[in-house]
Formats: sequence, C-alpha cells, structure tokens
Amino acid sequence: MDLNWMMAVAILLPLVAGILIFIFRHYQIRGLIVVITALALIINSIYFLKLGPVEYTPEGSNWGLAITVLDYLILLFYIYAGLSLRNWLVLIFALTQIVPLAYWEFGMGAHVELEPAFVVDHLAIVMTLVISIIGSLICIYAIRYMHDHEHHLHLEKSRQSRFLFWLVMFLGAMNGLVFANNLYWLYFFWEVTTLCCFQLIAHDLTKEAINNAARALWMNSLGGTAFILAMIYLYVNHGGADALSMQNIISGGLGQAAALLPVALLCFTGFTKAAQLPFQGWLLGAMVAPTPVSALLHSSTMVKAGVYLVVRLAPAFAGSYLGVMVALVGAFTFLGASGLAISQTTGKRVLAYSTIANLGLIIACAGINTPLAIAASILLIIFHAISKGLMFLCAGTIEHIIWSREIEDMEGLAEKAPVTTFITAIGILSMFLPPFGMLLAKWMALEAAYAVPLAAILFVLASAATIVFWAKWLGRLLQVLPRLGRKFESLSLSYSVPLWVLVIGIFVVGIGVAPVYEKFVHFAVNNVIAAEQVFAEGWNVLVPGVSAVTPLPAPAVGAYPVWPLFVVFGVALLLPFLFLALKPQELRPVYMCGEQVGDTDTDEWVTAADQKAKVQLGGYYFQNVLGEAALNPWVNTVAIALLLILFGVVLGVVLQ
Amino acid sequence: MNPFWIALIAVIVVPIIGGLLAGIDRKITARLQGRWGPPIVQPFFDFFKLLGKSRIATSRMQFVWIYGYLVFMIACLVFLVLKLDILLLVFLLGFAGVSFALGGFSCKSPYSHFGANRELLQMLSYEPVLLLMALGIYAQNGSFMISEIFNRSEPLLASLWPIFIALLVILTIKLRKSPFDISTSHHAHQELVKGIMTEYSGPYYALIQLTEWYEIVLLLGIIALFWANPLWVGILIALAAFILELFIDNIAARMTAGWMVRFSWAIGLVLCVLNIAYLYLMKGVS
Repeated sequence: MDLNWMMAVAILLPLVAGILIFIFRHYQIRGLIVVITALALIINSIYFLKLGPVEYTPEGSNWGLAITVLDYLILLFYIYAGLSLRNWLVLIFALTQIVPLAYWEFGMGAHVELEPAFVVDHLAIVMTLVISIIGSLICIYAIRYMHDHEHHLHLEKSRQSRFLFWLVMFLGAMNGLVFANNLYWLYFFWEVTTLCCFQLIAHDLTKEAINNAARALWMNSLGGTAFILAMIYLYVNHGGADALSMQNIISGGLGQAAALLPVALLCFTGFTKAAQLPFQGWLLGAMVAPTPVSALLHSSTMVKAGVYLVVRLAPAFAGSYLGVMVALVGAFTFLGASGLAISQTTGKRVLAYSTIANLGLIIACAGINTPLAIAASILLIIFHAISKGLMFLCAGTIEHIIWSREIEDMEGLAEKAPVTTFITAIGILSMFLPPFGMLLAKWMALEAAYAVPLAAILFVLASAATIVFWAKWLGRLLQVLPRLGRKFESLSLSYSVPLWVLVIGIFVVGIGVAPVYEKFVHFAVNNVIAAEQVFAEGWNVLVPGVSAVTPLPAPAVGAYPVWPLFVVFGVALLLPFLFLALKPQELRPVYMCGEQVGDTDTDEWVTAADQKAKVQLGGYYFQNVLGEAALNPWVNTVAIALLLILFGVVLGVVLQ
Repeated sequence: MNPFWIALIAVIVVPIIGGLLAGIDRKITARLQGRWGPPIVQPFFDFFKLLGKSRIATSRMQFVWIYGYLVFMIACLVFLVLKLDILLLVFLLGFAGVSFALGGFSCKSPYSHFGANRELLQMLSYEPVLLLMALGIYAQNGSFMISEIFNRSEPLLASLWPIFIALLVILTIKLRKSPFDISTSHHAHQELVKGIMTEYSGPYYALIQLTEWYEIVLLLGIIALFWANPLWVGILIALAAFILELFIDNIAARMTAGWMVRFSWAIGLVLCVLNIAYLYLMKGVS
C-alpha cells in the first residue's frame, strides 16, 4: 500500500470517521462507521509492521501552517475553558503555554519545518499496533456501552455521537504522536490528546466530571508548558529548527550534557501525562468518565503517550544521573501507588492505582536503561495495554450488571455472572502472576534493576503490595454461596467480542512471548539502545532447553521456554475447573460454630439475643494506615522532593 | 542425569521426607509439652485416612484453588531441584500462596475468610524478603540461577548472613509456627478454629497436607542453598533451622497480624537492605 495512504489512515481517518459519526446520528450507522474504522486501523497497523521502519514527510507546504493554526485554536479553547469554568489553574497553565509559544514564533520568528517530519521506527510500530488494535477494540465496546449508559441515565438527547467523535479521534492523535519526529508536531498531537481527554472526562457534564476534567487539563497543561520550554531551549541554544528533531536528540547529535535540561523537561512532560506521583490526581479523577474512556486512557492511549516519550528519550540520558533519577521517580511511583491501591474500595480506583504503579515501573525501566530494562519496558507497555484494557472493559461490564463499582458489592459475582467473572479472573491473574506476560516482564525488570539497587528494593516492596490488592479483589468476586443455582449471563456482541479477543490476546502474547519479542520488541529495543546482548545477558535466566515440565530440544539462544509454565497453569487451574465439577450433593453449608439458622444452605446465623442476621464478610482495606488521607501527604512530599532533586542534578550538570 | 528423571524422583521422594519431618515435628512438640506424642509415621496414616473419605466441599471453586496450590508448589520444587532461576521460583511460590488464599476466599465462611485475609498479610510480610533474598544472591553471584550457587566454593552464608537471619523469620511465617500462626495453626485454638483451612475436609484436606510437606522441604532446600558446597553442611544447617523453629513455636505465643507485618518489615527488610547495600558498596569499592 502507498505510504501516503497508510499515514493518512493512521492519523486522519479517525478524524474523518469522527466527523462522520458526528453527522450521522443513528445507532446502527454510527456503530458501522466505528467498526469499519477499527478494522481499517488494525489492518493498517499490521501493514506498518510488514513495511518496517520508514521515514515520511507529507507533501505540500500547508501542513505546518495548519498545525500552527490548530495549535493556537486548542490553546485559545483552553483559555476559554479556564474562563468559563472559572478555574484559574486551567487559565494560568493555558497562558503559560500560549504566551511563550507566541513569543517564540512571532517574537523570535521561529519556523519549524523538518525533514523527515515523521519517523516510523520499530518502537513506533509497536506503539501503533497497541494503539490501533486495543484502542479499536475499546471503541467497538463503547458502541453498546454508551447506549446502555444513556439508557440508564435516562437522557433525553443522546450525546453518544459526540462521545464517539472524541474517542475515535483520540486514536489518530496517538498515532501521530508516536510517529512524529518534528518536536513541534509532536507537541501538537500531544495537545490534541490532552484536549480529547478533557472532553471525554467531562462528557457526563456532572459537577464532579467537569471539575475532574479541569484538573486533568491543568496538570497536562503544566506538562505542555515544560514541553514548550524544552523546545524553546533547544531552538535558542542549539541553532534553530534543526535541533527540534527527535532523532537528532536521541542519537546524541547535540551532545548529551548540553541536551540534558530539555530532555529532563520532556521527561517531566511525560511524567505528567503518565500520571506519575505527584500528578496521580488527574488520572484518578478521570474515573468519573464512562468506562470506555478509562479503558482507553489506561491501556493504549494518553498515559502510554507519557511513558512512550520517556522510553523514546532513554538514549539521551543513558549513563547520566538523570537516568538514575528517572528510575527512582518511576520506582517510587510503583511503590506509592501499589500501597495506596490496597486501601481502595472501588474497583476502578484499584485499577487506576495499578495503572499508575505499572507506568511507574515502565518509566523506572527506561531510567535503568540497560538493554534488558528497555526490553522489559516495551514488553510491559504491550502486556499492560492488553491486560488493563480487558480489566476496564470487565469493570464496565460488571458495572452494567450490578450497577455499582464497589468491590464489596461484587461479592458472589461468580454465581450471578459466571462468564464475566471468569474473564475478570483471567484479567486479574494476568496482572500479577506467572506465567502471564506482565509478571515475566516484571521479572525481567527486577533482573535488570540491580543496576540501580534502590529502585530494585522499591520494586520488591511494591510487587508484594500488588499481590495483596489483586488477590483481595479476586477473592471478593469468587466468594459464593453454593447451590444457589447459576445462570450464564448473555452479553451483547459489542461487549463480548472485545472481551474475548483480549482474553485470547493475553494467552497468545503470553505463550508466544518469544516470537513476540523476536518479531518486534527486539528491533524496538535496538531503536532505543544498541542491544545485541539482550539475550545473552538477560534471557539465560531460564536455562535454554530445560524447562519445568518437558525437556525441550536445545533451542537457539534466545528461545524463551515460558510455555511449560502455561502447561503448569492449565494443569493447576483450568483442568480441574473444567473437568472436576462437584455434584450438588457433595456441596455442604459452611462451618459457623453451630450457629447457623437451620442446616440448609443459608448465610443466616443466630446472633445475640437469638436474633437472625446475615453473615457479612469483607476484605481488609487498612484505611487508617494506607488510606489516601494517611499516605498522600508523605507520598506527594517524597515525589515532589524527587522531582526537585532530578532538576537539581540536571542543572548541576548543565551549569558545570 | 536427564532433568526429567531428576524432577520426577524429587516429586516422588520429597513428600516422604516432608511427611517424616512433619512426624518429627509432632513428636518433638509433644515431648516439649510433656506428652508422649504419636509415632513419626503418623502423618502418613492421617493422610491415607483423609484420602479415603468422601468428597465434601463448601464451594465449587475452592478445590480448584487447592489443586493450584499443590501444582504450583510442585513447580517451585522442580525449579529448585533443576537449579533454575530463583527469582522465578519466588514468583511461583507467590502464585501457590495466592491460590491458597483464594481457596479460603471462595466460600462464604467467616473463619476461612479471615484466615484468607490474614494469609494475604503473611504474603505481604514474607514476599519482599524472599525477593530481596534472590536479589542478594544476584549481588553475590551475578546471576539468579541456582546452578551458579553450586559453582561457588565460598558458601553464601559468609556474605549473606543478615539475609539468612531474615530468612529464618520468614521460615516461621511460612511454616505457620508461633508467633506467626496467624492464618491457621497446627495447634487447637478456639478463636481461629482452623482459620483458612476450616472449610476443607477429606481428600481436599489431604491435598493441603501434601502441599505442606512439599513446602517444608522446599523451604529447607532454599535454606540449604546458603551452604551449597558441600551440600551436606547446608542440609545440616537447614535441619538445625527446622528444630529451632519447633522450639520457637513452643515457647512463643501468637502475635497479631499487624505486629507480624511490622516485625518482618522492620527486622527482615532492614537486614536484607543493609546486606545488599553493603555488597553493592563493596563491589563499587573494589
């Protein structure tokens, strides 16, 4: 296929589709447009994989002008939003973006035209696969979800078209963001994602939604400000527009020490978008939005843009103290967010904190910056996108079954909705247990982390906390009263197709981690860091040829005998689950010290003064030790201190 | 020898050793308490009797997780005897623990439920120490492979003794001995009933027993790694550690779950972190 068309499909098609959706306000037609767009994006991304690395500059001279105009329109909209919402933070950070930008362009006469404008390398291809495939599945899911959502809210005038417009457009902006080589264009796509995010969070137009959207806007605008400062610094100190080429920065064309300050500013921008501590607030607030938004923000877009930028910049801070500090900021976020997740009682908030934690892990890996660490970070991006996308879609489905987001309300879901529970259980297990990809990537991260031992210790504490909150939640889902009789729920196609595709994805990518690695991650690592030695250093952790269950014929170096662990997993859980069903007469009521009401199956017991009461059980949440009120001041203080040290270290180098 | 046969022999022999250790445990504990105690092979009698009982469960999912507990524990053991990656072994052990806790969660029973919640707290206590142990071994050997430990002439204990002490604390938690018999206990306690194991009976309870035997040997095996050359010294150290646990079990009273987390983090983690920091600094100096 022609490269012009491929780029157009990746970046512009979502916009066109969004406009069409906005025009045709009919449920079926709208759904059809979304499905076709989704398929086009998926096929297109696979073409990019087949095509391999490529550079591209669009023909015609008006693109730069269009982007400049749109940039100012977006920033003017932020000012308008700040004024109309009377949110001064939004206004201030909109002004801190537009004023320097205007001064830079009109005062200094900057004009940034670069060749190539886009560089599609392997890292970008991995990202576009994640964005196009997982993002598209979430859009398909949203068709039906928003229908149910509005049905539940009893809206008079449907706003689904508006919602899908922003949702689909998000994917185009993300594709542009990961392809862009010209920092000025990258900045433009960055702002589009911020705008989409703002619109989607505010979608329900409740007071809470609007407030949280405003918070997301000002925090990301703060990041945008750092981005602009970095661009101006590069422009002024490194001889004009040519310094704004991403490839130039990461290949060390400017000299590492000299470029360290703008790189640190760009990393800071990445931190804000990836909701690293202390900027976790906006992502948690984003939970008020309908679930597809959360799924999209957390899995394939928005926050992944943040980690992408840091991973992309990794070569620019290799071997410097900035790298160590980035590793510590990420590792501390991993620990802080995992600890806070234990105290959360709402499913979506647990997921949000878990996302923040995993993004911290990815950023920490980028900071550690050995080949193994970079490989771990890219694998984490892939695995996390699949698992977290699935988890959020599950959370949304559960919400539409029980109309609650509270973990305690999910008790006994295994009887009420066995299919959804099964999928959710797979999703939860895939987040933190062997043999699934997330854990294998985490394991690689830990092997790599010894280069920065403090980060390794933070990793270790955090991964223990991870076990607690996931197992606790899974425990609530599975806790049942036997013999109530169970009925398999029926899910609409728009729900079940994305769910099952993602479940299959988890197993395929998990079992096939070796080919996945060899096919694209390996090259992507090479894009980031010269990594011939990854296998030799990192992959010999399992002796080639020897596996837990079956001795394999000695494979080439680099084969990753992880599938035997899946055999173990299947033997341990799936086989008994599928084939060893108990007969009803083998099920008995539980032991309650003889205080049960009657000996039939009941959850009532005789309490004080011979009153009957229902048994009520709950998980431990440790609100007074790990709750947000108790922990946030500490966590935020440390996080801010780490950021200050980071910039202190960088300034120390620059001023030398 | 073919790794397959090593693994198979280990899977068959280890429960016999584990059962005998459990018998010794009961005997010594009885003597410490001024009782005569059962014969050393009593655990096997119990095991076969339990196996012969009819299947009864309180939840459909419960027994699935018990199989998971057993199978993943065996996988851990295979990792140990084939001298594979110790970090992955710790993660697999984590899965075994999670399976057990989920088994406790899967029926609506107050006793098994608080047992399961406490089991998670136990994991929170011991998991970081085990992971840091792996990291400490990496700091010494430059590899997470257990086979590398056997290639060293100097025992790990010489440089990793703080981690070894932390590991002894963890061993008490893992073996469910006082003062850490929090989620369930081997002794009768009316306030616990049987904690997380309350809802298991017959063959399912037998499976738990079997898993515990694997676990004893696995943990003692990890301790023996600290003196891997010659291995018999390591095994003697492991047995001494086991006897020590029995004494601690009989002289200590059960503490609360919160105390356990604080204690193991304060003592275990600090020891591990200092140990690793020391190794790292020495490496930097040399």
